[in-house]
Amino acid sequence: MKRGELLGSLEYIILLALMRLGDNAHGMIVRREIEERIGRNISIGAVYATLERLEAKGYVSSFTGEPTPERGGRAKRLFRVEAAGKRALQTSEQTIRSMTVGIKDRWGTA
Amino acid sequence: MRRCSPPAFACWFLESVLPNPYREAVLGDLIEEYKLRIESTSRFTASRWFWSQTCRSVPSIVWSSIRSGNWLISMSIAMGVYIFMGTLKFAADLMLSKLFSSQQMTHVILPPIVFLTTTAIGGCAAARLRRGATTFLALMVMITVAILIDLKVCSVAVPWWYQFGFLALGPLAVVVTPTLFERLKQRGTVT
Repeated sequence: MKRGELLGSLEYIILLALMRLGDNAHGMIVRREIEERIGRNISIGAVYATLERLEAKGYVSSFTGEPTPERGGRAKRLFRVEAAGKRALQTSEQTIRSMTVGIKDRWGTA
Repeated sequence: MRRCSPPAFACWFLESVLPNPYREAVLGDLIEEYKLRIESTSRFTASRWFWSQTCRSVPSIVWSSIRSGNWLISMSIAMGVYIFMGTLKFAADLMLSKLFSSQQMTHVILPPIVFLTTTAIGGCAAARLRRGATTFLALMVMITVAILIDLKVCSVAVPWWYQFGFLALGPLAVVVTPTLFERLKQRGTVT
């Protein structure tokens, strides 16, 4: 496995949230999904900074939506997971699985 | 009807600080969520949430922008505008010193006017070229004024608040003028 193929924890969580939400999810929806599912209150800035990093790696792509009055006339930036992103998710998941084989019971008793 | 516009200062702060690719998306998302929250909670709670998101978002976005190298372009633009501002101020000072002979006029009354005008022009120019450049420009102006105060370049005796006025109002003019100008433009008062 090449170095850099493994996702960081926030990258992993955000990619999973994007997978759950399907195509055309924007930052605030991703933030809300993470808050609802794992109770982690992350800032919208951290979400966008991570999405930007994922886009630079080619794991997600983005496009600009239409401006709406609810958003003060500002356009949404919508994201979708690309094939490379799906592969990165698989690799990370397999790595975690391989590393946890046989040791799960150890932290269960802590 | 409940007033549902988010804290104006927080919006202005985000608009001034966030680099171009993030500004529209982050501000739009925050405004949308704020409007949803104000329906279910109090205005105070929603505003507090907006402020907390603002304060927590800026460091991560600015850091990400620095890491991706965007800051280098912004800094280069700020440097260019800074040189332009310096040239403009030098030319204005030279012209005014020829027009007015009174030392009080050329050393005390006119300098703040020239300084604020050039910093405001510089701020607008930087914002027009690249929004993030205004932050760097404001920082450069602040450092320059601080150095000049330390070097005691003012040949006429002036009170302390006069010099510190330059230190506070200079960077403020760089950051605030483009935003004010943009708002006026949006309202259609400037054509």
